[in-house]
Amino acid sequence: MTVPLGGVLLAGAAVTALIIVLLVAVATVHLVRGRRASRDERRKRELMPLVHAVLDDDPDDGIPLSDVLGAPADLDDIVLDLLPQLRGSDRETLRRLLAERGVVSKAVADLSARTPWRRGRAVSLLGSAAGTHHVAGMAALLADRSLEVRCAAARALGKAGDPGAVAHLLHAVAGERALPTGVVGMALLDLGTTALPMLRDALTGEHGASRALVAELLGVHGDPSAAPALEDLVRDAREDRGVRRTAAAALGRIGSPTSTEPLVSALTNSTDPRLQRTAAEALGRIGDPTATIPLLAGLADDDVTVRAACADALAALGAEGRASLEQVAAGPGAAAADAQAALDELDGPVRRPQPAGVA
Amino acid sequence: MNELFTDIVLGASWTVLGYTLLLDTIMFSVVLLGARRVAEARHWKGAEGHAEIFASPLTPAVSLLIPAHDEEAGILDTLRAALGQRYPSLEVVLVDDGSTDRTFDLVAERYRLTEINPRRTASLPVRGEILSVHRATTGDPLLVIRKTSVGQKSDALNAALNLARHPLVCMLDADSLLEEDALLRVARPFVEDPDNVIAAGGVIRAANGAVTDRGTVVEPRLSTNWLVRIQAVEYLRSFLLGRTGWADANALLIISGAFGLFRRDLVVEIGGLDHRSLGEDADLVVSMLAHQQRAGAPHRVVFVPEPVCWTEVPETLRVLGRQRRRWSHGLAQLLWKHRRMIGNPRFGAVGTMALPFFLVFELLGPVVEVFGLASVALAAGLGILDLGTAAVMVGLALAVGTLLSTTAIAVEVLTYRRYRRGRDLLALVLAAVVENVGYRQAHAWFRLRGLVAALTRRAPVWTAMPRVGFSGDPAPAELVPARS
Repeated sequence: MTVPLGGVLLAGAAVTALIIVLLVAVATVHLVRGRRASRDERRKRELMPLVHAVLDDDPDDGIPLSDVLGAPADLDDIVLDLLPQLRGSDRETLRRLLAERGVVSKAVADLSARTPWRRGRAVSLLGSAAGTHHVAGMAALLADRSLEVRCAAARALGKAGDPGAVAHLLHAVAGERALPTGVVGMALLDLGTTALPMLRDALTGEHGASRALVAELLGVHGDPSAAPALEDLVRDAREDRGVRRTAAAALGRIGSPTSTEPLVSALTNSTDPRLQRTAAEALGRIGDPTATIPLLAGLADDDVTVRAACADALAALGAEGRASLEQVAAGPGAAAADAQAALDELDGPVRRPQPAGVA
Repeated sequence: MNELFTDIVLGASWTVLGYTLLLDTIMFSVVLLGARRVAEARHWKGAEGHAEIFASPLTPAVSLLIPAHDEEAGILDTLRAALGQRYPSLEVVLVDDGSTDRTFDLVAERYRLTEINPRRTASLPVRGEILSVHRATTGDPLLVIRKTSVGQKSDALNAALNLARHPLVCMLDADSLLEEDALLRVARPFVEDPDNVIAAGGVIRAANGAVTDRGTVVEPRLSTNWLVRIQAVEYLRSFLLGRTGWADANALLIISGAFGLFRRDLVVEIGGLDHRSLGEDADLVVSMLAHQQRAGAPHRVVFVPEPVCWTEVPETLRVLGRQRRRWSHGLAQLLWKHRRMIGNPRFGAVGTMALPFFLVFELLGPVVEVFGLASVALAAGLGILDLGTAAVMVGLALAVGTLLSTTAIAVEVLTYRRYRRGRDLLALVLAAVVENVGYRQAHAWFRLRGLVAALTRRAPVWTAMPRVGFSGDPAPAELVPARS
């Protein structure tokens, strides 16, 4: 059996050379890192007065504009780090500074760069630094071929704060290059209450994923104006189960007693234990005593999670719910254990103390 | 006859060398995939910062499940780290699985436990008897279940799942310390992609030798024990590069049982953890993938390439052997149980890449290595081996192995930089060389024995590793923050 020894030796030499290169790189990085960190720290100390002068806008500081505009690129990093912590005019001042230093125009040019990390970095920067000026360019990246860039674009649109981005973001939840709903959800939350009218409209949208997302967000906002539409979603037996569950949870967060009826109906009539559980939890949050009887009936459900949710909901209904739980807890069966556990939760762990050291 | 025997011995010798080179080449390709991602992350980290995840109302609550059997050495540190997580909403469910030491007493004393009526959230079968359920009265969100042990970690986890109330469950070994942001980092994929992500794991590292203070690793250091150092390199290679590469190929099979985050509803839907399995972590991931695939439901298993969890690794060859035999036994069970998925394109990259790789190189690897090495030794003994050629080939195989480990160390230094002392880095590099001689062969032997145990259907038993606990507190002047 013969072996091409020359080739094997060559491969061995190449691998050894690679190992040596890596070891040298490791040693170099290890040695210079400390020096680089202290150099960065020194530069930051030197440049911070420039940033303060820009924010103070005080001509008595004696720092000419040319100094600020001609400062090294480290200044941009300092400003970009500061931006998320600032609001109002200070934020606008620093945004203008970045624009004047050409940082924003460079990022706009990088939106169409070949490498994904350049596009991603550019759109992230624009989200922080450019306000609502480049929404169209950022929105275009919601269809980028790289998922990470698409996510960065969504986050940037949220930070930019233009409610006009709602339609773009909701559209990006579906399709071939769909964005994860959580990323879009956080971006829409970043837009604040100005997005609410568009979110309400989207409850009747085409895609189940975006309807579920919008229902969840309206619940997070606690938007009472959305309650009727959300109640319709819970009532609609043909609606996607996930959407109905999310709508039920949202109604619980909103807390309007008008929602008791559709939630009781979902708890009583649905065959989906997850919807029943969510409906029970929502009824507990609303705290409407008229839900006591259906919740008591739910304690007899076959599904342990539905029983537990009903017991917890009864505990949240106040004196009436508590009295019902105590009655059930005194009886036999699985419901008694669930009721007792809910009462324990209510009272806090005060019974049967376990002395320390007892095994 | 002699000629035939010679050919067989030589053939076996070359087979093992070729196999080793092929394995190293595949691993190197996986490493390159991972290294590419790491290099890109140096330019742009994607989503930076975890404050928005912490503040987001969309972040789901987590139940941390900790099975513990005779863990008095480190249980309080583990609990302190778990309860001290920077996470908006979490609970810890500790299962004292028939401990014979002071595990429960220590926890009862520290958290002033009181017995309660359990609130069940699932009805998974539990074989051990639930003795009592307790809750902390110190204000910590801690639930403690006492049960009799049936020698299965999965049974303890199922007992915890029956009482866990949050939508995500995190399984954590009782000898592990979480970094403060560990949950936030690993939960991020669930927050961002709640419809698709079903499981996520992060980087686990060897805690032995690290300086800890009240459940926090304040300065990662390498142990002076060479067995631990070699495992530290192994963990770096596996987590920083291997799993990143597999995850990029959408073929991640293993979320470590030491620290993994899962969707609770799915874990319950598949019936919890398989009590027959020794590799319950991998089995859980594959079962969830199979379940979702059959249901036509979306599924993503995500690896978060950031250091999040520090765990105690074996310090003696005997304990290491027991651990690796168990892993190999578990892998054999897993591959047998999910044999219909192997090579099946319906299961995507997991079916066509990951499972075949684990079958050929992880499960059968030790067979080839042990018998091949024996044949090399036999051929050399019989004087029919060209020693010069063999030396060159063995040298190449060792060099490729060393290159893999050196790459992992380079990634550590260039990115995460937890080991800051020069002497630790030097020790890692030396361990990367040393592991190829002796350790690798012993490892193959342990795995072979695990495979034999699986083939002979020996009853799987979860035996907890002897714990030494975490390093004592250093003198204040000695403390160096581990994180910048």
